[in-house]
Amino acid sequence: MFFDQLLNQTNGPLLERVLSFTAARHKLLAENIANADTPDYRQKDLSVDAFNQMLQQRAAESDSAPPGTVGFDDIDEAITYPNNGILAHDGNNVAMEQLVSDQAKNALMHNVIVELLRQQFQQLQAALKDHVS
Amino acid sequence: MVNGITPNVGAVAGATGATAKSGAASGSGSTSFADTLKSSIDEVSRLQQDASKAVEDLATGKSENVTGVMTAMEKSDLAFKTLLAIRSKLMDAYDEIKNIPV
Amino acid sequence: MFDALDISSSGLQAQRTRLDTIAANIANLNTTRNSAGQPIPYRRKFAVFAPGQASDPTQPGVRVTEISTDPSPYRKVYDPSNKDADPATGMVQFPNVDLSVEYVNALEASRAYEANVTTMEVTKSMINASLRLLAWSLKRPGQM
Repeated sequence: MFFDQLLNQTNGPLLERVLSFTAARHKLLAENIANADTPDYRQKDLSVDAFNQMLQQRAAESDSAPPGTVGFDDIDEAITYPNNGILAHDGNNVAMEQLVSDQAKNALMHNVIVELLRQQFQQLQAALKDHVS
Repeated sequence: MVNGITPNVGAVAGATGATAKSGAASGSGSTSFADTLKSSIDEVSRLQQDASKAVEDLATGKSENVTGVMTAMEKSDLAFKTLLAIRSKLMDAYDEIKNIPV
Repeated sequence: MFDALDISSSGLQAQRTRLDTIAANIANLNTTRNSAGQPIPYRRKFAVFAPGQASDPTQPGVRVTEISTDPSPYRKVYDPSNKDADPATGMVQFPNVDLSVEYVNALEASRAYEANVTTMEVTKSMINASLRLLAWSLKRPGQM
């Protein structure tokens, strides 16, 4: 009750939701790379734009609501089958270069958000500690 | 001996605030220490809100300015820690004054 | 997040199996008899992939469902002096393995193997980054 609001008044919940999204997307990209030679395999992806749209809406809502009351956990992510214009002779449509670069970007975003989340908790701890460390 | 105390009290009071005119000269238009403190707190709050907004923009994909976010967070962190240090010094000074035997 | 390691390791295993079949093909490039000594040439083999883990096909990953043989016709070479030549025509049947095709497949398999290894490294770095969330608070166990 009270502690929920106290601990969620920074960007914590938003960043946690983004982290679970990047982790799920990483799994999908890993699956695509593992199936790069499987016949008739269609590449899967999570739509980043749709997710960001929903996230921005929810963030705007939480800006106007009292801090710590708006949750982010019920935003869902949709699996899409992107059409990347590649079709190999065995029916596989995996684009390896785009996958590897997407995976690198996704991982970098994940690591940056983890750092920011750590900073948020660090600030709360500094406020509680009552003196400069 | 009483005369010897007042300069020390004045030195301690001067060390705790930028302007030491607490309350007595507030009517003359100069800012009191309370006002300075309040504006500092507002500034720290504003810096923190800026940092929070920058983090939100980065996480939702609205902007990709990672260095901007990092510097905003560092600034707000430093401002907060400075305010915390000033508060600690104030508390220490108040304790010292409190313990002066009258 | 740890499932991603399973996915990548299934990819590594599948590509290694594929590389094994390619190595067998190259080794048997000129094998005109089978293992029993009969004059039946070696037939090219290839690995068939399918999505799903080997232990549980509903989990994401890749597996080798079978090592099937290539039904394309044998390579025929005219050499009457060969022991396995057909006495009527003088043609010898060699395995239907094309060295250039096998080389290119081997290159592709090793590139896919590298890509899976890179994915595992990325997964490990993401997990390590999450571990550092705790590292700061664990650094000073004495204070609050």
